[in-house]
Amino acid sequence: MAAQTEVLAGFDHAHRPARVSMRGWLIRGLALLPVLALVFVLPAQSDDWTNDAIYAAIFAMVGLSMNVLVGYTGQISLGQQAFLGIGALTAANVVNTGTNAPDPFTFAIGIVAGVLVSAGAAAVLGAIALRIRGLYLALVTLVFGSVTADAIFTISSLNGQDAGVPAYRPTSLQGNFAFYVFALAMVAICIYVDVWIRRSKVGRGLIALRDNELVASAFGINVLGYKLLGFVVSGAMAGLAGGVYAFWSQEFSDKNFTSSAGFSLALIFVVMAVVGGLGSRAGVIAAASFFALIDPLFTGFAHHTGWLNWYTDHKAYIQNLVGAVLLLQTVIFNPGGLGQVLRPFTRWFSGKPFSLHDAGDAAGAALGGGDSVRA
Amino acid sequence: MHVVADTFSPQLHLVTPLISGLADGAAYGLFGLGLVLLYKSNRIFNFAQGEFATVAAIVAFLFDRGVGWVPKVPYFIAITFGVLAAVLVAMATERLVIRPLFHRPRVVLVVATVGVALFLVGVEGLLPYPQTASLRTISDALGVRSYLTQVDGVVVLDQDVAKLIVLAVLAVLAFLFFRYTHTGTAILAVSQDATAARVVGISVERVSMATWAIAGFLGGVAGVLLAVPPSGSVTPGAFTGLTLVVAFSAAVLGGMTSLPGAFVGGILIGLINAFANADHSFVPGLNSLPTSQAEVAVALVLLLVLLVRPRGLLGREA
Repeated sequence: MAAQTEVLAGFDHAHRPARVSMRGWLIRGLALLPVLALVFVLPAQSDDWTNDAIYAAIFAMVGLSMNVLVGYTGQISLGQQAFLGIGALTAANVVNTGTNAPDPFTFAIGIVAGVLVSAGAAAVLGAIALRIRGLYLALVTLVFGSVTADAIFTISSLNGQDAGVPAYRPTSLQGNFAFYVFALAMVAICIYVDVWIRRSKVGRGLIALRDNELVASAFGINVLGYKLLGFVVSGAMAGLAGGVYAFWSQEFSDKNFTSSAGFSLALIFVVMAVVGGLGSRAGVIAAASFFALIDPLFTGFAHHTGWLNWYTDHKAYIQNLVGAVLLLQTVIFNPGGLGQVLRPFTRWFSGKPFSLHDAGDAAGAALGGGDSVRA
Repeated sequence: MHVVADTFSPQLHLVTPLISGLADGAAYGLFGLGLVLLYKSNRIFNFAQGEFATVAAIVAFLFDRGVGWVPKVPYFIAITFGVLAAVLVAMATERLVIRPLFHRPRVVLVVATVGVALFLVGVEGLLPYPQTASLRTISDALGVRSYLTQVDGVVVLDQDVAKLIVLAVLAVLAFLFFRYTHTGTAILAVSQDATAARVVGISVERVSMATWAIAGFLGGVAGVLLAVPPSGSVTPGAFTGLTLVVAFSAAVLGGMTSLPGAFVGGILIGLINAFANADHSFVPGLNSLPTSQAEVAVALVLLLVLLVRPRGLLGREA
């Protein structure tokens, strides 16, 4: 339900073909430098910062997986942390080499296995969810998340009991910065898949479904197949994030995914996807990084202002409050989220015409329309 | 009392789970009532319902104990204040969050209630009060013994009986409210077609406010009844994390559109939960089940209901 009225696409100011000169690309390249500095130079400053940056990369992957599911298929998910956990559990168990570093091949197998098992779990959930209409899907994913967490992650032969399953990195990725570059490469894969989905026939089909299922199926779009594909791709991305998570924390511990820890992860994922602006890659990645870095940022701030003790005692609550305020202001005042704010910039960078008052086509549409998400 | 028996014992395998199931079921039902009310009227799932309860429990606790500058008042006045606070929070939610989003898709409203829940948890967590404490029980406040009777060595608590009675009374009252009062009918009319309701002279805004006030009242009553020992507390987010998901399952089982259904669904889910969690060691091969069997059982029930009979046991079309 994009509030845009397109009468004649050919005369639409925002969509006329543009040509960017060599100098224009050069300027764009220079303007990109601060962004690159933020991604590559800043995390290299200290080991702790690199560590935090890897966490942000993991969140960015989860954000993209939410983007595919919620942004493109219009299905809400409150159980995304389960796929993260399944990916982490599988990767850690497949690679399980005790205290020795695995060889790169085993490591790769572990990551891929995490992706596949997660995608399989998503296919199962998707097959069930497709039969359930409207808002009830939110409940099913919520219950799926908490039940997987409590049923699978607590199996003692899989979670390594209290010690957790060790997940040591291969020697070439031992250092935090090397691992960070690896995580960024994984994010790049997710971005590529997201772009491919958005641009291909599949993506157009999904968005048509999201906006009006009946009309889309009348045009010959395979409703079940496309929705299932959306679920599987989203689950696979979250599984990839889970694999990276396992090797980031160098262990799988069920405590990170069960009960209240899992539940608050699920809520953070929804909050960051909405605040980022569903359907917008740049917005979702930015919001995901923000929520991943909220703790180190606030800790640093509290440290300098002398509130450190108070902050440490109330950490979870302060983060809740920040997330809630951002979420509420997004849904009430700024439905396009961060993506809508960033949109002129991303369009300028990619050499497309832009308008500072452009409502955007995809931004906000995910939460603005779609019969499939209406009760 | 947790004796491992390899033969069937009625006390261990029937009476204990029956009583704890009824008590838990009453809790799920109390939350379910509020969830059903808002689903019936606004067609949304209210994820903030658990925090309405927590707000009531905290305010009641502050007044009952006299924490900080809050004056100490008699128990029953304190719990009235608690319920009032929940009503006020619910009305504020309606005015500030729900009404601006009234014409947006329902999923946006659901996400917004998640935001309200997070917000309330955050605010509660920053208040300086003993967060792991719990409210006094009614019998404690009245100074009578805390249990009604003992069956087979299993204690029936006063508070649990009170929960069941309050739940039943509220379910019947709410049912009558929707069936026989003008306001109740108006709420249903708005839920079916807001524009048409406005045309026949119903104030959509006032009806929406009334609905949320009632939902806050139901949540508040649940809060002051449930935040008591042995298992309840006034911890921020406790109801949202532990009770709300199961309460949703209960409401779906009963039929999201049926208020007596919330009662029936709550009790049934409570019993399923309790019997799934009970000691199964007298059945060979079942004693090695993982500890989370109750959650799995509840999830399976929810899935089964949604796949086979989406309108639930007592609901109209879902």
